[in-house]
Amino acid sequence: MLVMIGRGLEVAGISNAPFTIALRSLGRRKSRMTLIGLLVVLGTFLIVFGGTFATSAQIGSKQAIIGNFTGDLVLYSSKSKDLPSPFSFTTPLPPVENANGLQDWLASRNDVSKFVGIAQNYGLISVEKDGKKLDLSFLFYAVDAPRYQDTFNNLAIKTGAYFGVPGSGTEDGILLSTRQHQQYIDKYGINLQPGDKVTLLSVTGGGAVNAVPTTVRGIFDPVKYANVFDYVNYMDIGTYGKLYNFTGVAEGSLPTEMDSAFGASSDEDIFALADSAAFDTLDVDSLKVQTLTGYTMLSVKFKEGADQQAFSNALKEQGFAVKTATWDKASSFFSSIAGILQAVIVGIVLLIFLIVVFILMNTLIINILERTGEIGTYRALGADKSFVSAIFLWESLILNLAAALTGIVLSLMLIFIIGPGGISLPLIISQYLVGGGPLQMIITPGPFVFGLLLVLVVSFLATLYPTRVAVSVSPLKAMSGK
Amino acid sequence: MKSVQNNTQAHDTIIRLSDVTKEYFLGSTKVEALKGVSFEITKGEFTAIAGPSGSGKSTILNMIGCIDNPTAGHILIGGDDVSSLPDKKLTKYRRSTISFIFQSFNLIPVLNVYENIELPLLLEKGLDEKTRRERVMRLIEEVGLADRLKNKPNELSGGQRQRVAIARALVTNPLVILADEPTANLDSATGAKILELMQELNQREGTTFLFSTHDQHIMTLARRVIAIKDGLIVGDDRKGA
Repeated sequence: MLVMIGRGLEVAGISNAPFTIALRSLGRRKSRMTLIGLLVVLGTFLIVFGGTFATSAQIGSKQAIIGNFTGDLVLYSSKSKDLPSPFSFTTPLPPVENANGLQDWLASRNDVSKFVGIAQNYGLISVEKDGKKLDLSFLFYAVDAPRYQDTFNNLAIKTGAYFGVPGSGTEDGILLSTRQHQQYIDKYGINLQPGDKVTLLSVTGGGAVNAVPTTVRGIFDPVKYANVFDYVNYMDIGTYGKLYNFTGVAEGSLPTEMDSAFGASSDEDIFALADSAAFDTLDVDSLKVQTLTGYTMLSVKFKEGADQQAFSNALKEQGFAVKTATWDKASSFFSSIAGILQAVIVGIVLLIFLIVVFILMNTLIINILERTGEIGTYRALGADKSFVSAIFLWESLILNLAAALTGIVLSLMLIFIIGPGGISLPLIISQYLVGGGPLQMIITPGPFVFGLLLVLVVSFLATLYPTRVAVSVSPLKAMSGK
Repeated sequence: MKSVQNNTQAHDTIIRLSDVTKEYFLGSTKVEALKGVSFEITKGEFTAIAGPSGSGKSTILNMIGCIDNPTAGHILIGGDDVSSLPDKKLTKYRRSTISFIFQSFNLIPVLNVYENIELPLLLEKGLDEKTRRERVMRLIEEVGLADRLKNKPNELSGGQRQRVAIARALVTNPLVILADEPTANLDSATGAKILELMQELNQREGTTFLFSTHDQHIMTLARRVIAIKDGLIVGDDRKGA
């Protein structure tokens, strides 16, 4: 191949003499060139493998969050002042209006792969112990159980079953996280098991309490991000609707003036409702009742290649009273932690790489400075500055390209050796980095192209600068070693 | 380029120095290496510049060889004043008009005998490989190194290295070959042989040689000896003149 390059240069009318001399020089400075080559191999390996590691972590954390918690996009009430966070528990957001209509619309979309409604809330589990009533706090996500499992299969059931035995239909009830289950034991001596009957109590701001009997269906561990998601429990959406009386006036049956007044945000506006003419003339019998889901958000997964902007535009045209949040916005804290960890990894890799680069640059510079006498001889024999520079740049290019490609091949080999099993990481790092489990190495062209270009640019600059300095010295001085 | 062709007396004068001075500083001390040197070299001469160490011999050769500039005065090579040429043009002169043989040989350590001799031809564009090979092989035969083609400089004796340097200097058919104490790093027998080789090439090929030496025996081989002391020419003897 090198002979072909030489011939190619000749055909292109470019002097191949520097290339030829560079080749000869490389072949006869084996120990120095091997040292430089090894440094470049190490540098490339670090940047490529480290880059692939960081990219894999980025993809892994994104997939873990999208695949198990948020989907690609989260739809939430336009009245909400906070961002939704299906990935962690926050103060419950306002329920999404016309959630059933929205779900019908989502089901009709070709670009939507899956979707599921989620209601975040908290309540109490009322149990008896030694003839005494105990109210256990209970944070939960209320979900359409089959659809949730179809969209986010992120619950590993330890005992019991996921809202019913597979194939025998869905059952109402609750799922407890292992941590929550253990807390009830540790704190209250209550050991709830699948099949146990309990009473759920709703907790509202006005102090109203609703009681709904239900059954513990299972105890689970979160598949991903278990360390930060283990306090959240689950409830089927039917039980949730009963617990919080989610019924309301159907859309369109309330006079417009009142409808807008109900959406008021200040106390003054709400009191002004009493003065509304529509309030006096309201025919209660004409109002239609509808059952509300109580969903505070809907997570949407898109099909491959879907145009999310087109989806958002279409959603706006439909007039649903919802806002959208992308997966990273809807999981900002956790995606930030993952991002910070990834940045730290990249930073460590870059730091090691910089040390290697520093050693490499010094070695390249020394390599050229040691050859100042040789450069002086070339110049004294009538070689142009560009000719001498070309010799050294060809040397650098041939050596560093070969070494960089070797570094890339070594990185690839290691990635293949690691294989589909991935890299096992310490639990705490793995949890925050990719939500737990081994890090699957994913090959993307970015780190390879970046590593190759970076190494070539660094070695080019580390060669060009000292060469330019060396050739600018007079041949006489250069030959005398000054 | 400032041409002073009109001042060149005869068409066979290939080098002319007119009142050349060279000053430089060693720390804060001003050193006057040459204090107004004038002489001419004609085609085919075999001339020695003789003098003790520090007399200015090498400085003269370096300036004629276009690797150093005079402080004042003019140096004409082939009728062209090279004393104030830009680097690019000086480089061209070094490539095609002048060749240098260095005291310490200055061979490229990573290149073998053949490649070192071929190097000046690679600097010239348009010479095909066949032409280069013919010229290199002819010179390798002439300097008696046909059996050392593949050897690198560190595998050769001092005399062999200087032979390689001579062949490298000859390969471009230069107007003049400058040799700065070419025998200084050789034992006397080898030095004599190198001078004999240069003499032979001068007589057979008509190549002009200008070399510096402080060796009395070497001086006797030169047909002309320009004596220099403390930066001034103190004698110019031609054999048979």
